[in-house]
Amino acid sequence: MLKKIVRWSRIKSPWILHLNSGACNACDIEVVAALTPRFDVERLGVLLKATPRHADVIVATGPVTRQIKDRIIRIYEQTPDPKFVIAVGACAMSGCIYRGAYNIMGGLDQVIPVNIYIPGCPVRPDAVLDGVVKLLGTL
Amino acid sequence: MTDPEFLDQVKAALGEKGGEVTNPATRRFFVTVGASDLLESVKLLREKLGFTYVATISGLDAGESFEIIYHFAIPGAQLNVRTQVPKSNPHIASICPVIPGAILYERELQDMFGLKVDHIPDPRPLVLPDDWPAENYPLCKAWKHIRPEEKIPGGKS
Amino acid sequence: MKFTIPIGPQHPALKEPISLRMTIEGEVIRDADIKLGYNHRGLEKLAEEKTWLQNIYLTERICGICSHSHATCYTQGVEKLMEIEPPRRGLYLRFLVAELERVHSHLLWLGVAGHEAGFDTFFMYTWRDREIVMDILEAISGNRVHYAINTLGGVRRDIDDLQKKKILDSLDTLRSRSEYYFKIGATEPTFVARIAGVGRLSKEDAINLCAVGPMARASDFPQDVRKDDPYGIYDEVPFEVATATTCDVLGRVVVRVKELMQCYNMIEFMLQNLPDGPIAVRAPRRAKPSEVVSRYEAPRGENIHYIKSSGGDKPERLKVRAPTLANYPATVVMLKNGFVADIPLIFAAIDPCICCAERVVTLVNGRSGEEEVVPLSRLRRLARERWKKAPLNKDAVWPL
Repeated sequence: MLKKIVRWSRIKSPWILHLNSGACNACDIEVVAALTPRFDVERLGVLLKATPRHADVIVATGPVTRQIKDRIIRIYEQTPDPKFVIAVGACAMSGCIYRGAYNIMGGLDQVIPVNIYIPGCPVRPDAVLDGVVKLLGTL
Repeated sequence: MTDPEFLDQVKAALGEKGGEVTNPATRRFFVTVGASDLLESVKLLREKLGFTYVATISGLDAGESFEIIYHFAIPGAQLNVRTQVPKSNPHIASICPVIPGAILYERELQDMFGLKVDHIPDPRPLVLPDDWPAENYPLCKAWKHIRPEEKIPGGKS
Repeated sequence: MKFTIPIGPQHPALKEPISLRMTIEGEVIRDADIKLGYNHRGLEKLAEEKTWLQNIYLTERICGICSHSHATCYTQGVEKLMEIEPPRRGLYLRFLVAELERVHSHLLWLGVAGHEAGFDTFFMYTWRDREIVMDILEAISGNRVHYAINTLGGVRRDIDDLQKKKILDSLDTLRSRSEYYFKIGATEPTFVARIAGVGRLSKEDAINLCAVGPMARASDFPQDVRKDDPYGIYDEVPFEVATATTCDVLGRVVVRVKELMQCYNMIEFMLQNLPDGPIAVRAPRRAKPSEVVSRYEAPRGENIHYIKSSGGDKPERLKVRAPTLANYPATVVMLKNGFVADIPLIFAAIDPCICCAERVVTLVNGRSGEEEVVPLSRLRRLARERWKKAPLNKDAVWPL
């Protein structure tokens, strides 16, 4: 019974943390644009949180640069269980056009385990909404 | 002021220190100075022609030597000052005493090419990560990046 | 008693990772230090392995907000290297998209400034209007961001009369809404008082530290590449350089507002005088051995690319300097002797496009060495409470 309530509350209001790991900013503005009146992701109960300790879902963009790799691992460990990771954009999936550069590790899944990938360069805010809904459907 | 007038003014200001001044396109001028005359020339350019703004400093790997280009600009003209240092002795003087805003560009030169900028106020590396192995200068032509093996989760490696 | 606060890479405020370390004494910042490198992607080395055409797509993705600026600056330079001249209609279309990008970037920044100052309604309003501009850009080029409309020798897509009419209609809506917001901003005394006097940068400092863009123009230093070194069609399109004399965040908001109104006029002029003809010429595969310096006025300041060719189909050296890098030394000077509560506002006022900065504040207690993670939202709340109790600066005037 308690498990059902907990599961219901997890689906009804996932709190997200927006993490930018070396991206060009396009995916980030589109993620923030998903909060604006036109696309409005808050009607799904999603709230943009400031610190990893309050968040359920990490929304990460950008190819992983060497400098930020350790910080990402630290943030991932600071987020309490159960946590989910959404990799937004072609850069987080595999590095986009930066593959082969000397400071790039590749996609996000080289560093932390990822649950959902959202393709696009940059992603449309509708695609971000779609990805969040699909994630909630698997819970 | 028109391009030919500006050309004469640059020649007059730099005197013997500057080499030939070329004007390949409208409002673009290139001049070569020796590495030891760099600070003096920048001072003369600032006092006599009012060049207080340096847009950026580009480094180039030209085989046996490094070529460094300083891009200055004033309304109506853009002057590029070129200088060369040999790879065996890669030292160049800092222009921060004359133009304090050039500090970040000089730090980047040190990072990327291994040039040593003398009397630089702040010698820390600028863009490379903390755990970068020393003596690896990415923008030299001889440096090649070897990609490590990637592990694709759930797929063929 | 001095403390050091690192404002680290992950931060809720905005977009990019950058690390600031500030030494504070009480509430006043004594020293600031900026650490870059979280966003260094090794683009210059990567560009040496791709052909001239492929590099357009690479330079576009240096930044998402001003992607067209980098692509145009690069394309202009390569066209000079190859000695080809794009046709007039192509140039007009290219700079039409450039001015639309400036509109979208300034609206974005105004929203961010409002959000950092606590004026969230302003943020929602301006971003809703930004959607109108994004729709226009999507109709012209097919994508909301990274509109790959440049090609070597011109542009890739043309606009027809129906799109022209749609843009002119949307422009009327945008203009009337913008004027309404600026009236609100001007008559809202708390907003004006909050941003006046914050982040001072004197004219002398702006000149010595080589500041660019609206930061320099707000300190009464009229530096604008479109007037100093006209490229493309800017010697035909009439406009004025916007400056302000107050040298603080209020001045920067005023400069951007003035530029926004100028942009609307420029877009209307370009649409009404659009010449007919082809939109692109063929470009050769190789460029002659030579070098070129290309400058462009991005929404944040001056963008400069240095391209060198050695006769092949790949560049020998591509050097890019984005405008926000040039504003860093000036930011350090602005942060000194400011208040901790003003950090988000000052940093947002330079319009950071560092392409990666999330800032987390970790308070390090000087004596015991303990660390405490303080989210920026808490800092922002502290800032709002402090300003509620502070007396209103009744003399701050909106100089528009």
